Amino acid sequence: MSVIQKKICLLGDFAVGKTSLVRRFVEDRFDDKYLSTIGVKISRKTMARGYGTLNLLVWDLAGGDNFDSGSSYLRGTSGAVIVCDLTRHETLSAFERYAAQVRAVNPGSPLVFVGNKVDLVEARAITDAELQTVCAALNGSFLLASAKTGEQVEETFLALAEQLELH
Amino acid sequence: MNDSEPVDSTLSASPTDGNSIDSVRSILLAQERERICQLEEQLTALQQQSAALQQHSNTLQSSIHDIQAELDRLRHGDELMNRITPMMSNMIGKTIRESPEAMAEALGPVMGEAIRVQIRDARIDMVDALYPIVGSTVQRAVSEFAREFQRNIDARLKSTFGAQGFTRTLKARLRGVSPAELALRDSLPFSMREVFLIQRESGLLLAHIHPGSESATDSDLIGGMLTAIRDFVRDSFGQGQREKELDEVQYGDQRIIIQSGQHAYLAVVINGIESEGFRAKLHDFISELHVEHGIALRDYNGDAATLPDLPPKLTALVGGITVEKVGAPAPLSRNQKFGIAAASLITVLIVGVMCFYLQFTIALFPIAFPAPTHTPTLTSTPTPTFTPTPTATPTLTPTPTVTPTRTPTPTPTFTVTPTPTPSNKAITTGNVWMQSSLDAGAVSIAAIPKDSNVTVIATSGLWAQVEWDSDRGTRRGWVLLEWVKMLR
Repeated sequence: MSVIQKKICLLGDFAVGKTSLVRRFVEDRFDDKYLSTIGVKISRKTMARGYGTLNLLVWDLAGGDNFDSGSSYLRGTSGAVIVCDLTRHETLSAFERYAAQVRAVNPGSPLVFVGNKVDLVEARAITDAELQTVCAALNGSFLLASAKTGEQVEETFLALAEQLELH
Repeated sequence: MNDSEPVDSTLSASPTDGNSIDSVRSILLAQERERICQLEEQLTALQQQSAALQQHSNTLQSSIHDIQAELDRLRHGDELMNRITPMMSNMIGKTIRESPEAMAEALGPVMGEAIRVQIRDARIDMVDALYPIVGSTVQRAVSEFAREFQRNIDARLKSTFGAQGFTRTLKARLRGVSPAELALRDSLPFSMREVFLIQRESGLLLAHIHPGSESATDSDLIGGMLTAIRDFVRDSFGQGQREKELDEVQYGDQRIIIQSGQHAYLAVVINGIESEGFRAKLHDFISELHVEHGIALRDYNGDAATLPDLPPKLTALVGGITVEKVGAPAPLSRNQKFGIAAASLITVLIVGVMCFYLQFTIALFPIAFPAPTHTPTLTSTPTPTFTPTPTATPTLTPTPTVTPTRTPTPTPTFTVTPTPTPSNKAITTGNVWMQSSLDAGAVSIAAIPKDSNVTVIATSGLWAQVEWDSDRGTRRGWVLLEWVKMLR
């Protein structure tokens, strides 16, 4: 049984829930408190796959407008999860910028787009159609997830893992 | 009697009637009298109760007054503290005995702050209180260090007189330090705790070993975080220039030495003082690794099967460095080898020259120090004397007397005059030095014993150039004329 390790990055604007998604994925827990990530936080998740073991090293990058300063963290990444907050429409418009950053470093790397906080139905500001349009333009798939409830979190990283294996 | 007139029963009543009235009255007022009696009894009881209440009230008032006074006293002094402290101590002691975990959990959060405040307010007291603990801890650590240091020194001393010791002495001299200083430096404690080989771009871990210690770290995450830190430092302070990179991280008594290659870098966690040339060895290792496996390091995509067997290489690296630190001398560098060769050559030359002079001195010894004679003078200092010219100039006109030629100055003129006399054989009148020339810096080349036969070749002032057949062959040089007597 072989062991494969891959580096993936999590990108998105401030407070879209990147760290919460990673915490739910790696530790299966959720915390309401918001602490802004400084620089980068690296976590590891081991997934059993048909061929053996996949070690995902998840680089949770700090979100922000000056993302250029953190682009060096993207070097060597095999893929990325780009996250928006479904209750804040402006976080969707940043998808294009983040996707361009990743593909500038690693052209052709698989991307998975995630609309987080799907549990906040009343406050939702981004429709499925809008997400579909943006993600199709960026040549990627999207999922609606909730770090709070755990909905579609595992599936998000699984989708990226499958794309990495095909890549 | 008229029935219609009213009868005044009172006036007309007899004494017997009075009794009747009283009887009637008593009959009619019996209930009221009984009621009055009850009321009087109740009044009496109430009066008694009132008196009792009054008394109780007075008592309570007195108590309240006392309590008030007590409260005032407690409020304005340390009395309250004195009263509560024994109770608090007992309560805390009881809680600690019954549930120490709960007590620790309750007091834990404030302990740090309490200590900080106490240090701020009573630093000397805290030092006095902590000294026995901290002092013994430090003493133990220093003792351990000293024992380790002593062991290393002993190991060094054992190898002092061997080839390693000679090499180390030579190295020390070449570097301008004493062998003791070099031995001292090499004896300082040093250990390599962990070695990481990490892909430079992605931060993926290529190999990891932890010689001689348990690995308490998640090596995958360490690799990633180290890479992130390197990227951060380069972006923040190196303006993103690739050649400017973080090469060392220090925390406590441990350091992470980082040696970069083109596609991978080494991160070595060490304790103590590394040996000289440690970084050079890391550099050589990473360079050789890139020469051998550069493509594999560059193209590594997370599949360990595509990598060569790297851990044994890291183990060999650690083993080599550790062995050298413990005892074996380091291989000399090119410059060091050149220096040693040059020093050896110079030494051989010096020894050769010394041997030549020694041999020369031994050969001259019997000449320079012959058997004692009555002629003690051997001097090369010309004395200002009037020396008659020993050469008679043949003239056509015979003169009755030969006028001695006065030498005007004692300074030799260095004009060599060939001696035309048919016989130029002479004999030395004392032990005399033969000089190589008449120059001021001329050296003595032989010591001619007294009564030696010489051949005068030329004269110059006070000097005569002679040839002397010595045991070692014919010598030619200059001697003072005064020590030469021409044979007729």
